Amino acid sequence: MSLKKFSELFGDLDSINSTNNKIEVLKHYFLSNDPIDNSWAIYLLTGKSNKRFISGRYLKNLFSQIYVYPQWLIDTCYLKVGDSAEVITLLLKNKTNSRKKKLSNISLNELLSETIPALSKLNEEEKNLEIKNLWETLPEDNHLIFNKILTGTFRVGVSIGLITKSISKLINIEEEIISHRLMGDFKPSIDSYEFLINKNINLQELNSKPFPFLLANTIEDKIFKNSINEFQFEWKYDGIRMQLIKRSGNVSLWTRGQELVNQSFPELVEKMSHIKDDCVLDGELLVWNFKEQIAFDFSLLQKRINRKSPTRSIQIKYPIIFIAYDLLEINGRDIREIKLENRRIELEKYFSKWQIKTENNISDIFKICDLIFPKDWPDALTYKEKSRENNTEGLIIKKKTSIYSSGRKKGIWWKYKVDPMQLDAVLIYAKGGSGRRAGLYTDYSFALWKDKELIKFASAYSGLTNIEIKELDKWIRKNTIEKFGPVRSLKPEMVFEISFEKIQISKRHKSGIAVRFPRITKWRKDKKINDADSLENAYELMKKIS
Amino acid sequence: MRTNQENLIRYKDGNLYCELADIWIDPSKPVKRAIITHAHFDHFTFGCEEYISTKETAILLKERVGDNIKIKTFDYGEEFKISGINISFHPSGHILGSSQIRFIFAEEKWLISGDFKLQKDKTCKQYEIVKTDYLISECTFGLPIFKWDETNKIANDISKWVTNSPEKTSLLFCYSLGKAQRLLNEISQTNFKGNIYSHGSIYKMNNCYKELGIDIKDTTKIENKIKIDELKGSLILLPPSLSKGSYLKNFKNIQTAFASGWMSIRALRKRSGYDKGFIISDHADWDGILEVVKKSEAKNIYFHHGDSEALSKYLVEKESINVLLFGK
Repeated sequence: MSLKKFSELFGDLDSINSTNNKIEVLKHYFLSNDPIDNSWAIYLLTGKSNKRFISGRYLKNLFSQIYVYPQWLIDTCYLKVGDSAEVITLLLKNKTNSRKKKLSNISLNELLSETIPALSKLNEEEKNLEIKNLWETLPEDNHLIFNKILTGTFRVGVSIGLITKSISKLINIEEEIISHRLMGDFKPSIDSYEFLINKNINLQELNSKPFPFLLANTIEDKIFKNSINEFQFEWKYDGIRMQLIKRSGNVSLWTRGQELVNQSFPELVEKMSHIKDDCVLDGELLVWNFKEQIAFDFSLLQKRINRKSPTRSIQIKYPIIFIAYDLLEINGRDIREIKLENRRIELEKYFSKWQIKTENNISDIFKICDLIFPKDWPDALTYKEKSRENNTEGLIIKKKTSIYSSGRKKGIWWKYKVDPMQLDAVLIYAKGGSGRRAGLYTDYSFALWKDKELIKFASAYSGLTNIEIKELDKWIRKNTIEKFGPVRSLKPEMVFEISFEKIQISKRHKSGIAVRFPRITKWRKDKKINDADSLENAYELMKKIS
Repeated sequence: MRTNQENLIRYKDGNLYCELADIWIDPSKPVKRAIITHAHFDHFTFGCEEYISTKETAILLKERVGDNIKIKTFDYGEEFKISGINISFHPSGHILGSSQIRFIFAEEKWLISGDFKLQKDKTCKQYEIVKTDYLISECTFGLPIFKWDETNKIANDISKWVTNSPEKTSLLFCYSLGKAQRLLNEISQTNFKGNIYSHGSIYKMNNCYKELGIDIKDTTKIENKIKIDELKGSLILLPPSLSKGSYLKNFKNIQTAFASGWMSIRALRKRSGYDKGFIISDHADWDGILEVVKKSEAKNIYFHHGDSEALSKYLVEKESINVLLFGK
């Protein structure tokens, strides 16, 4: 099978918006290609291979060198396109009339298992020659794929979930089973593909399946009419919601997004494999400050999520904890139909048993969530307001008599979140975006007043609609004072409401403050720049919080 | 050296203007006398006392805005005089009737390219190479990332796109004047067998082209009385203005595409919200602009309608051609 088929698949997936159609296209591809190519396709589409053989900069330099092309011109094009592999692909189109060589018809397998790995064994000069040769012999339709694989930037709008769904539909086997098969070290080979589409399910696969998650609803006023004693109160942690499953000695960690993440958190899997009981726990994974017994920022957790097989030093630098909320199954007995208050008793009972009996101490990686006991609703509100101090997002309120059903079921669980902090600020700089937002000014910097000067205090990228982005982009182009490379300084005229989660003193910033997760929540067209907030307002806000 | 102000043609209030003849080129606001390169609305404005254009442009304009405008028309190549300046229209290959305009005064030649392309297009006259001293050129696609494929390849891609999804209604968005007719003409050369429908605004232009002797495939006008299910498996041409909003609710099970040079860039295509992009343009690509610049033998170049920074720098550095800037 030729690389062309895979290029076509990429083109199709890239131009189809409907999930169902994407699944159909994938199914069709898998049915009409060799197992080995399918295996590589899955490897690429699930983002398992993002190895960078050469950098985008290298690719651009090489093109400039081979075709005697001005570097500045390539850079200008890059600003418009936002992707090195794509820029070079487009520029190559302009060079194809000079090619005389016979086109090659290599397969995806050959490209990925032979041609590209062979590149890294060559010295620079040989490597450059070989890339030039490949550019000139690969059919034009394959250039984008080739350049993207080379630069480790192959991505297409397909999630692991979608691949999982297509294979699940292809062979009529539940998605959870396929997820389990796709987990771990998926090495492209005929065997790995045949294993993936095997219609016989083994026991271990069956044992790893999670329950559907029960989700909380946003708080409703009517809840306050009820007696506070009907509810259980927990902190709302800002981590990854997860089910920890231990059956027949095997541990599986499932996120709410149906992803199996054993590999990212091996220390948890290891520890939990020592407990004596089989169980299914619902809880939250966090990077934990053991000294102060509070969670670290979500940003630290992000350093762990995307890292498969973290090194020992990463594990020490970003220590994780699993906080269990709920016990759903114990030693093969499904207890989801038991009332929450009774499940809690079971959870506490087993937790103390594990703490005593488990050879290695589990409390350095596992605990059950502390409960909060507000005496009345105003007291609950006070707790909620305090949640920022321990890095939580608010409260989770659960009906004590509820059973563990699935989905966002009404009237059982509520989230009671703290309001974000807000300031009105003036837009002073804009920078071009990349990738999908290439060619548009989408990265903004905002300022607050200090006497009669505007001082930059935050940058934000998100929060505007596509229509607003386009409108603002137009305005930016017309109201530029100066250009510094990709950055433009702007006429101070536009006011935006900026929301953020945390505000603290920072010596690194000119403004003296730093905010966390700044985002645009409103374009205040109704406000003039003199209505924007001052740094003084920001300091007051900080005082009020602490 | 003389200043921009003293040039035969200069920029004034955001428009090209020839003071000696008191004539504005494609003005964006009402003036006394306007000369029009082609019948697209971004080159035309209501309320001028007098218009000058080619015959075809005049017919298309009247069809679009009514008979209530005063237009003087000339053939391609026919020279006429205003205030001692010799003026003539020459084909620019953009759409039917589109033209470059040449001004000659005191043996100095000025050429305004208008919107142009070099690619073959059976619905209009091929771009004519015109020699000049000064060239004022558009540069909508003035970066080397823009390189057009042969039109018949695109037509085949469109045909396949529709045929491969027989259960869907395929909506192809394209400019209603020029692009739509060019696509129809090209599609009729492929082995596409399905039904083609046109939106009213396109249908009207199709008829106009036919009356002017251009070969356009027959299409059915899209109307309310047509049942949604009838449209399954067929191709429908619509103007881009209808791509957002409630109009699409008139159809079910659709796939959408946009035919435009901008679809070259993946990020733009993704952002535009169309399922698919067909890269076809009625403007010149990078190579096309360079070819025109060189063949015109112009010693002095001005660019407008586009990002000209990179193009200008390239011409100065690589081709040693003098690129000037309008004092706006």
